[in-house]
Amino acid sequence: MNPLLTKTLLARNEKVLQQTVSVLRLAVSNPHPVLGCVLQSSERQYRSMPTHGIGRYKYLLPKEVPKKKKEKLQVKAIKTGTDTEYGVLNVQVSGHDMTIVEHYSQYVHNLCNRLKIKVDESYALPTKCTEVMLLQEQGTKMFADAVLSTHERIVQLSSLSSKLAPVFLEVLLRNQPEGVQLSIKEHTEADFYARFKARPELEELIAQIN
Amino acid sequence: MAAPVRRVLLCPLRRILTQIPCSGVASSGCRQLSVGLRVPAVQKPNDVVLESPSPWRLLGAVFVQRLAVISRDRSPIEKDFAELLKQTELERSLLADHELRLLEDAERVSRKQEEDYDSDEDSGQDIVTAQDLEDTWDQKLRQFKPAQRLTGSIQKQLLNSEADKKADRTCLERCLEDSLVLLVKEKIGSEDVWLLPQVQWENGETLRETAERALTTLTGNSIKATFLGNAPCGVYKYKFPKDVRTESCVGAKVFFFKALLGSGDIAPNKKGGHVWVSKTELQDYLKPQYLEQVGRFMVDL
Repeated sequence: MNPLLTKTLLARNEKVLQQTVSVLRLAVSNPHPVLGCVLQSSERQYRSMPTHGIGRYKYLLPKEVPKKKKEKLQVKAIKTGTDTEYGVLNVQVSGHDMTIVEHYSQYVHNLCNRLKIKVDESYALPTKCTEVMLLQEQGTKMFADAVLSTHERIVQLSSLSSKLAPVFLEVLLRNQPEGVQLSIKEHTEADFYARFKARPELEELIAQIN
Repeated sequence: MAAPVRRVLLCPLRRILTQIPCSGVASSGCRQLSVGLRVPAVQKPNDVVLESPSPWRLLGAVFVQRLAVISRDRSPIEKDFAELLKQTELERSLLADHELRLLEDAERVSRKQEEDYDSDEDSGQDIVTAQDLEDTWDQKLRQFKPAQRLTGSIQKQLLNSEADKKADRTCLERCLEDSLVLLVKEKIGSEDVWLLPQVQWENGETLRETAERALTTLTGNSIKATFLGNAPCGVYKYKFPKDVRTESCVGAKVFFFKALLGSGDIAPNKKGGHVWVSKTELQDYLKPQYLEQVGRFMVDL
């Protein structure tokens, strides 16, 4: 009787031990149900340990704003001038020789930086090619003699003070190279929309709706 | 100082297109300046009741300039450097379409000369080869004659005597590489003085309008100038000699306004006399103190 009893007792003890061990394991392995699946591996966080949180670094990095992939260009309200300052001005440089036009527009940009005039944008308009057609000497057919391409660069300035404007203009005109046309205009919405390509399908759909 | 832009020794583009064979400058005019700015509306001063009128007389003067039409000749260092840059650019560049065509044609000709030449293998040949095109272009270039650059050195050769040089200073077409300023002879007090066209300020108008009035009255209505901004660029203050001084006017202040010449010239039959001078020649005409003040805002790049 005794050995049987002891065996069953032992067996029961083992079972109980196993159950408690398994319970303990479950309890230990899931102390933070909020974190979810992070701690499914065999890592255990003991907050009382002096090395708790060693290796954490992400909280030190600056907050990154999630980048938007495509931004719809919104028409910004174009500033108008006050009594002492001009609004948004477009300095347009155009000519046939691309190197000279680009160098001059870079010169204008650098001059503005030096004189602390705020430059909003500096962009290029698409090149326009003009074909020069001449009449052939014998015959009435026209043939293409040369292709002239007109390059345009625009530097957009804002808040040019009226005291600085004459000086600035004069310096620009004195350093204007040959073969380059300079023109300064105020920026309008039409100028802003001129940079975009025409979308025929959209226009068709709009026409259909109306 | 801002770095100068690379200057190219080309005549202005419109001359190339029109091909005017001329010894002088046909339509020198001035460069096209389009300033499409709506200059902020000039504010009329409200009726200011001066409690005690200031003892200074106010005058508005205009500083009209004809800007340079041609760029200056290069100095020897600049010439050498430009040549060097051109050379390096040429050596580093890739071949153009036309040059490739030339090479292909040369290769085809050399292949034809070989003994085992198979004309069937040869791909399509053009009637007009690249070399022919080059020859026609060369011919056209030889027929074209650009207008002469009348720079300072050539001008001196053309002008013979001192008298001619002095009398010619009223001409607008001299010194195409410098900017010229308009000076007018006025009678102040008892003596004739050369100075910038000026006129007294009247109550109720802004100084810029005074300057515009000075331009139109002293030169006739033939000059068209664009004023650069509403702010004056310089001031000259002087006191009258003691015998002329009274209690109400001790002296005069002259405010200068800059303007750029658009088109037109003064009618030659002006009484006092007018002169278009460059910066170096200003010393011959203006008084030293006046010249000092004018020199402060005259830019000569």
